[in-house]
Formats: sequence, C-alpha cells, structure tokens
Amino acid sequence: MRALRRALVALGAAALLAGAIRLRGSGGVPPQTGGWRELTGPDLR
Amino acid sequence: MRAVLVGAGAVGARAARQLRSTESLTNLVVVDIDARRAELVCDSLGEPARVGAVGEWGTNPDVVVLTCPGDHRRLAEEALERGAHVVSAADDMDEVRALLDLDAEARERGRVVVTGAGFSPGLTCLLARHAASAFDVVDEVHVAKAGTGGPACARTHHDALGSWAVDWRDGGWLRRPGGSGRELAWFPDPVGGQDCYRAALPDAYLLVPAFPGARRVTARMAATRRDRLTARLPMLRPPHPEGVIGAVRVEVRGQRGSGRDARVLGAVERPAIAAGMVAAVAALWAVDDRLARRGAGGLGELVEDAVPFLQELARRGVRAAVFEGANGDVRSAGTSTG
Repeated sequence: MRALRRALVALGAAALLAGAIRLRGSGGVPPQTGGWRELTGPDLR
Repeated sequence: MRAVLVGAGAVGARAARQLRSTESLTNLVVVDIDARRAELVCDSLGEPARVGAVGEWGTNPDVVVLTCPGDHRRLAEEALERGAHVVSAADDMDEVRALLDLDAEARERGRVVVTGAGFSPGLTCLLARHAASAFDVVDEVHVAKAGTGGPACARTHHDALGSWAVDWRDGGWLRRPGGSGRELAWFPDPVGGQDCYRAALPDAYLLVPAFPGARRVTARMAATRRDRLTARLPMLRPPHPEGVIGAVRVEVRGQRGSGRDARVLGAVERPAIAAGMVAAVAALWAVDDRLARRGAGGLGELVEDAVPFLQELARRGVRAAVFEGANGDVRSAGTSTG
C-alpha cells in the first residue's frame, strides 16, 4: 500500500513538474535592432 | 477560364471573389456540401458564378480549386481525370503528402497540382523562393505563422499542435513533438512578437523539394500557453467563423559570395483573405501555363521567379515586407529561442 502511495505521489509530482516546465517562461527577447519595411518596386524586381 | 471551386467557406468565398475579378474567367462553378452557402457566395458575385451540385462540375473545367476542409486527394484525382489543373489550399500534413504523391500522374496527364496554395503554406513558399533569390546557396529555411482562417483551418491548427512535427535536418526527416521548440518570432506589425512552436505543419514537405540543397527546413506556428495545454484535447469551444489578422515570417539562410547571410520576409493579412488570393492567382497561373513544370508541388517549387506572383498579390492587396537591420545574427533577425 505504501509503495502504491509513493508511486502515486511521485507520478503527481512528475506531472506538476512537467506542466510547470511546459508552461513557464517567455520565449525570449525581441529583436534589438532593425524593423519591417514593405517590399516595394526595387525589392520586387 | 472555366473554374470549379470546391468549398465555399472563409477561404473559398475569398478565392471565388478573386477568381471573379479575373478578366479571363468565363465560367465559375461553386460547389459546397452546404448548398445554401454556395448560393450565398454566387449571389454576392453574380455572373458567371453559379452553384454546382456535389460531384457534378458541369462542363470540363480548366482548373479545380479545392478550399474544402478535406478529401483533396480524391477530388484532385477526379479533376485530373477530367483534364483539369488542380489548386489545393490544403494545410493538413497528410493531405499535402497525399497530393504530392500525385506528381507522376499529373506529369503524365500534362497537368499541375499546386499543393498548399494558401497563406501558410502558399505565401510562405513564395516568400522563401523570393528570399532565396538573393543567395548563391540556400542552407536553411525556417517558416513561422500566426493566426488561422476559417473554422476548418482552426481545427487543423489545433490538431497540428498536438501532433508530431516533421523537420528536415541534414538530409533526413526528424519527428518532434508538437508544442516543443519554442521560439519568439517577430512578425510584421501589428502582430509583432509571438511564441512559436513545432506542429504538424506541411511546409517542410513542400520546401525541401524546392530547395534540395537545404540542410535545415522547419516550420512553427504561434500558440498561447492555453493552446499548448489543450492541444491534445478536443477543442473546448467551437472555433470562430474567421480568425483575426494573422502573419507569416520566412527566414532563409545561405551563402552569398564568400559569406553567410540571412534574409527575413513576412506578411500580415487575414489568413483566409490571403489564402483565397494565393489560390486564385495560382489557378490563373496554372491555366496560363506560367508555372515552371507540370506535376504536383508547392509554389516554392512551381514558381521559378516569385516576383511577378508577389507583384500580383500586392496589386490585389497582400503586401510582403522585409526585416531590415539583421546581419545574420539570430536575435537581430527577429527570432530567439526560449
């Protein structure tokens, strides 16, 4: 019974940890230089 | 041009409108499983659009445009048997592979099966082709997209995030779990920075034949934390009739002269509008014999010079953009890994 309880607790902890890793944090930082410019005449030749 | 459009949803209605504005169009048959929807589209367009019954396309068409949620392979085979070119806006990985398998049959019949002619894939393939024109050798192509078109597109994207992604790396396919590989991709304004993840996207299947020397080809889609958490569950609520503004971003890396460089192109538009436009112009090009070869392939492969195609899209309202200020550095080029 104790082994089963421990296994369930371990599984629960692993699920929580996996969920936290999957969801936490941001993707990174925005570009520090540059920007978007529409492609116009000379770019489309 | 006699055209049949199968699927009068968000993308199909836009494709029909774009086809209607084509001077050479003489006949447009709109087919949908929901006849009332097809009627609404035809009523809004007027002549020469008319409603067709499912399975009955009328006189032999020059081109069949597929914008329905599924069954593209069977419909494409039927269209080829009737001697028509096929333009498919499919964005499902299995559907795209099945269409590409029609290459031999299409070549034999002297017809084209334009596969993945939508926003992404589709416009992304054209942007990759255009970006690649600046390089002597293309090493890498990385695609990212944000947003969805109609409800069918939203369902496909939901499933894609919970399925296996396929990346091309060093001459082989790598299967990776959807929802992994977070990268912050910087799309043109107003979409801006979005976390993007691997997903079951067909872009690599279309881009690898277009750039056979490329060592890495990947595709990612923007998603929220909730999207990732619920990706493997059924959709919790019905998708919107049409998504909000979306964006695509294509980064091509390669060798130019003696150095390596990166070029990043993108576009913003409602995905259904852009997809309909790309599909309609692809249909026009197929009928006018302006594509590079017969057979099945993506626009990156079938369009040798993307400039006239992009010019036509710009004339119709979808404008591409270039990210400037990057010198090949990953962060300055508008992505960063998390």
